[in-house]
Amino acid sequence: MNIHCLGINHRTAPIEIREKLWFSISEIQTMLPTLRDKYFHEVVLVSTCNRTEVYYVQRHELTNGKPVWRLLAKHKQSEETVGEHHFCLTSGIETAQHLFAVASGIDSMVLGDVQILSQMKEAFSAAQDSHTTGILMNRLFNTAFHVAKRARTETEIGEGAVSISYAAAELASKIFEDLSKRTALLIGAGETGKLTAKHLASRNLGTMLMANRTRQRAEELVAHLGGRVIDFDKILAELPHVDIIISSVEANAHILSAHDIRQVMKLRGNKPLFIIDIGVPRNVDPSANIIDNVFLHDIDALNHIVDHNLTSRRAQVPKIEKIISEELQHFQLWYDSLEVTPTIQQLRDQFEAIRQAEVEKHLHHFATDKREEIEMLTKRIVNKILHAPMVNLKNGTTEHTDEESRTRISVIRHIFGLDKRTHQ
Amino acid sequence: MHFLIGFCELVLPFLYFATIWVYGKAFFSGSKGAESAKAPLLLTTASLHAGYVIIRTIVFSHPPITSVFEILSLIACTIVLVYTYIELRTGNTATGYFILMLPFFFQLVSSIFIKEVREIPPILRSSLLGFHVSSAFLGYAAITISAVYGFLYLMLYHDIKSSQFGVIYKRLPNLEILERMSFTATVFGFVLLTIAIVVGLIWLPRALENFSYADPKLFGTIAIWLIYAIGLMAKKVIGWQGKRIMVLSMFGFALAMFSITIINMFFGGFHKFY
Repeated sequence: MNIHCLGINHRTAPIEIREKLWFSISEIQTMLPTLRDKYFHEVVLVSTCNRTEVYYVQRHELTNGKPVWRLLAKHKQSEETVGEHHFCLTSGIETAQHLFAVASGIDSMVLGDVQILSQMKEAFSAAQDSHTTGILMNRLFNTAFHVAKRARTETEIGEGAVSISYAAAELASKIFEDLSKRTALLIGAGETGKLTAKHLASRNLGTMLMANRTRQRAEELVAHLGGRVIDFDKILAELPHVDIIISSVEANAHILSAHDIRQVMKLRGNKPLFIIDIGVPRNVDPSANIIDNVFLHDIDALNHIVDHNLTSRRAQVPKIEKIISEELQHFQLWYDSLEVTPTIQQLRDQFEAIRQAEVEKHLHHFATDKREEIEMLTKRIVNKILHAPMVNLKNGTTEHTDEESRTRISVIRHIFGLDKRTHQ
Repeated sequence: MHFLIGFCELVLPFLYFATIWVYGKAFFSGSKGAESAKAPLLLTTASLHAGYVIIRTIVFSHPPITSVFEILSLIACTIVLVYTYIELRTGNTATGYFILMLPFFFQLVSSIFIKEVREIPPILRSSLLGFHVSSAFLGYAAITISAVYGFLYLMLYHDIKSSQFGVIYKRLPNLEILERMSFTATVFGFVLLTIAIVVGLIWLPRALENFSYADPKLFGTIAIWLIYAIGLMAKKVIGWQGKRIMVLSMFGFALAMFSITIINMFFGGFHKFY
């Protein structure tokens, strides 16, 4: 099977190398025609923060991918740092298997990552726009998108938060029905705290308040995320109106005691209060969790959610491998059908089936002694109709290259509806 | 027709079991097949049970309230109908496994022990009684559902508080939805019980010779009504939220079950027709 993949990913190269070979969509569009003209019949270049991979149908035998990776490295002016050992090369059905694993998220750095699929679709679309795809790449990528869809709908690979900030936002959604009516307070400007605030904002949070010892940093954050800055020493006064507290301050003592929380709960009519304490050492007295309607979670609890979800995702991998194996079989069958002999046979069978059905339907209109003649006559017509296409198809394989023959066969198969499985 | 009644009594517990099994499989394992089988099974079970109650009422010429086992089946039927309405209205199917446990248990006991009562008191053939009884049982069904939502709320509340993020955390709707569903069911239950009590107090003293205000079931129902009245007041006036109100809802439900079963079985009074 003449399909191959040459690329670097998070398993073969560190981030310093991967970032050097990252291609934007416009760079991909520039690169594709060059690659096709030099080496390939068909080519798709996929580039994300975790991988840069070239999927191709080669024009001539390339014993290794050296000319290709050197061309990529040269384009990014990183020939000095990038080496052959950073790349891996797959061929044939292994390439399809690899692409299906990438599309379904089981080859991602974060297992089940959903972003990869949209990036792959973008890359494939760029290749189609640059006219560097043909019958093989079209089929390969459409099957990969089909695998990804099956993985999402038939398994739970994308479910549950797998980062601390996302887990905190998910937890808030398990307590409150409508975040647009809620107010969150971010205390401190730590990275995880900021990300949590960002995730809450993306879930349509009502109001965001920010407090930081250095007011200027809080103002910078507000400019980025929206919301309002409050003074660090006025936190307690604001708390009765706050439903979610995200605290990530470096402090040696608790900045909120259980007594403070108890007083706040009285003032807020015992309405639920969700506290995410990401600070180490902890910012909120852990004993506040025993107060009714107070949900206090520290970094360990959030890590626990992430671990739990990752375990659940890992349990989905065998199911996805089964889907991949099924789709690989279909892909292989389709690929094999692009040979001349099975196509001719299928074409003959299809015409013969039509002939038989029509003859059976109308044979009773003819006298018994004429029926054999009708059989012979219709067979002759079918044979004559098929004769020229068959001869041209057979001759075509000797006159044209392998890839051109496959394209011709594919067109015939499509026109006569010989492929029952098609991917849109 | 008698054959049909016998058939329903035999089939209904199995149908309830199958429905719960499918809801359980969808809840605990996330099975897609079970997920799509939920709605058809629920509708079949609810329709067959409603049909059974109607046929039984027509054939025996009285509403099915002459024995504790008829009453259990009627409550099971109202619970499944109210739940079906909630599921169709909200589109939330995750709580079905827990709620349908109750009608299954009630119908199972009913199907095993139910028998036809030969002598029917004339009062049971009155149409006003139908209004009194249907509002009372719809009220009981509503507070049962409210209690199940309360129970689910407490489970999820406990799991979130203690950082246990298992299947309950993953599949149940959020705390506010559970609280709202429980509260809505409580309000329905309270209004319906109020109607049942008012109709009963106005009409029964005239209709029954042996009517007495000292009837244990009357006491029981008024006690339940008071608990819910206190609960609703506590929520609206004092602003009680979450856990406390859910515990109160479950307490009211326990008392309601006590009133329906234990009082019916072991205490006399004009509410007993067998």
